[in-house]
Amino acid sequence: MSTIKELYAYRQMIFSLVKKDLRGRYKGSVLGFMWTFINPLLQLIVYSIVFGHFLTAVNETVENYSLHLFVALIPWIFFSSSITIGAASIVAQKELIKKIYFPRMVIPISYVTSCFVNMLLCFIVIFAVIFVMGVGVNFLAVLTLPIIMIVEYIFALGMSLLTSAITVYFRDLEHILSIVAMAWMYLTPVVYSKSVVPEKYRTLFNLNPMTHIIDCYRTVLYYKQVPDLSNLLMAAGLGVFFLIFGTLVFNKLQKHFAEEL
Amino acid sequence: MADNEIAIEVKDVAKSFKVYFDKGSQLKERLLFFKRNKYEERRVLKGISFTVKRGEAIGLIGRNGCGKSTTLKLLTRIMYPDSGKITMNGRVSSLIELGAGFHPDMSGRENIYTNASIFGLTKKEIDARLQDIIDFSELEQFIDNPVRTYSSGMYMRLAFSVAINVDADILLIDEILAVGDANFQAKCFAKLKEIKSHGTTIVIVSHSLGQIEQICDRSIWILDGLIRADGDPKEVDLEYLDFMGNEMQKSMNTGNLTGACETERHGNGNARIEKVRAFNSDGEEQSVFRTGEKIVFKIDYSVREKVFDAVFGLGVFNSNGVSCYGTNTRIDRFKLFNIEEDGTLEIVLEEVPLLPDLYSLDFTIEYGDGIPVDYCRHIFKIEIISGIGDIGVARIKHSFLLDENIEKKDEK
Repeated sequence: MSTIKELYAYRQMIFSLVKKDLRGRYKGSVLGFMWTFINPLLQLIVYSIVFGHFLTAVNETVENYSLHLFVALIPWIFFSSSITIGAASIVAQKELIKKIYFPRMVIPISYVTSCFVNMLLCFIVIFAVIFVMGVGVNFLAVLTLPIIMIVEYIFALGMSLLTSAITVYFRDLEHILSIVAMAWMYLTPVVYSKSVVPEKYRTLFNLNPMTHIIDCYRTVLYYKQVPDLSNLLMAAGLGVFFLIFGTLVFNKLQKHFAEEL
Repeated sequence: MADNEIAIEVKDVAKSFKVYFDKGSQLKERLLFFKRNKYEERRVLKGISFTVKRGEAIGLIGRNGCGKSTTLKLLTRIMYPDSGKITMNGRVSSLIELGAGFHPDMSGRENIYTNASIFGLTKKEIDARLQDIIDFSELEQFIDNPVRTYSSGMYMRLAFSVAINVDADILLIDEILAVGDANFQAKCFAKLKEIKSHGTTIVIVSHSLGQIEQICDRSIWILDGLIRADGDPKEVDLEYLDFMGNEMQKSMNTGNLTGACETERHGNGNARIEKVRAFNSDGEEQSVFRTGEKIVFKIDYSVREKVFDAVFGLGVFNSNGVSCYGTNTRIDRFKLFNIEEDGTLEIVLEEVPLLPDLYSLDFTIEYGDGIPVDYCRHIFKIEIISGIGDIGVARIKHSFLLDENIEKKDEK
């Protein structure tokens, strides 16, 4: 409880770190802030070619593969960058941590938030694509989108608290996580549809909160339906669990940050 | 005593660090080189306790590595103690790392917001202080330029202005007032006194005892992780200086010049200065003195070949290399003398008016016509301290005579 109160007092710091991160990220590159949009678009092109034209076996039933992929890929990029690059966030800010006091959680929170803002900006592109393709949207379904985003944010934050704190003591984690993130993507229905997962593996897939989260995005934006709330509720439960667990671990480990860094 | 009167309570706090001889933080290294993970546990604080009342200002003194900076880091909660308890009542601000989070490409104004937010201020609070901060930094005309265009002095001024305008209940300071030029330092000092008069609790770590004596009500001397003395700065500082004077004598001024660097001395070597010592008015050997104190130098010299018409001299230089005073027996119109055998020269300096600084001294033996016999540059160092905040090179005896129609207040 006191953690929340203190974080609230430091809200301005979170705000200015997010601003600094968003402004500073592409500093010095020619295209600058445009990379926020170009990067996911290029990834989309690669995956669309590979899975839409060459490895089509798993996606035969999908009508508009690019859009099917796009609405899942953007939320996935948010999640994976939260855990991989987010893991390094504490180590990256070591100068600040060694020299001055502030609630340490501010750093992963502002990092995940800036990734989140990036995702929101990419959603502008998603809606533009939907509009250009003439697919259209279901307004009632789109209203549930913020809820899905919040659930994903909670889960991503929990994971990033966990990974960023452990990375301080165990630097290999940062590199291990990039592989884990890749494997996790293929174990989540991002490049394929949930329906192609064999029945016997379904339970396993359902334990992965990202399965539900990605599925919800797709239901809303691709199938234009209101998502199944029970799925979302399960994801939310797992998200909250990880957030609490991440917070506890983080609070325990943060006491020795200044010495380990 | 009521709880709300205590600002800081430190109880039996101990802290040790693991000093790895060769640390690997990767899995491979940890497994493969299991033996390398040897470390030595260094106990920096061995159990210290003290309380600070609200509105009190204390100074932590002690030599390098004694644990005073660690204490300050524990107070700011950058680190946590291994055992013991620290209670802080009120908002804490620290002047430990100035300019934390400054972004070179952002303007001074934006950096004020970033930096102040790290101290936990909200946008509204920063808005309210913005003008004060800018005024204090004297950077009004540059405030919208990127910080990378600032000189390092301007940078520090901006950073200090932010930190000092946070309006904390407890202010922790590590070796400040080395910021900017003399004018700005004086201004910072005045601001600190003003803050103190508003009831802010202040903890200062400093090597400059003069600063501590001016601001603090109490000094705590930490020696090897334990509190050695706690009390009135004037008394504790003296005790500390005595101790340090002895230690310094052992290390810095061995006084023995036989191994001294030859480039720092020249002359034909017919007579050599062998050893220099400094004493206070009570005849105690020391190398730290107060402004206005008497200093006696004893110089042992040896003679290889008779020196005719000898002249002894000394020169005093401050830390900027400025010559503060120099004289010799010829300037003093001594009758000519020869030195034939080994002996000891005494130079008595009465009421040395030099202000706080680290001074180096030259001692010389010359022939009457100025040809050097043994000219030793910067061979001895003394430190001057003072509890009065006057600035410059030397204290000029002075008095202010107020107009009679000014009414004097009773208090001070």
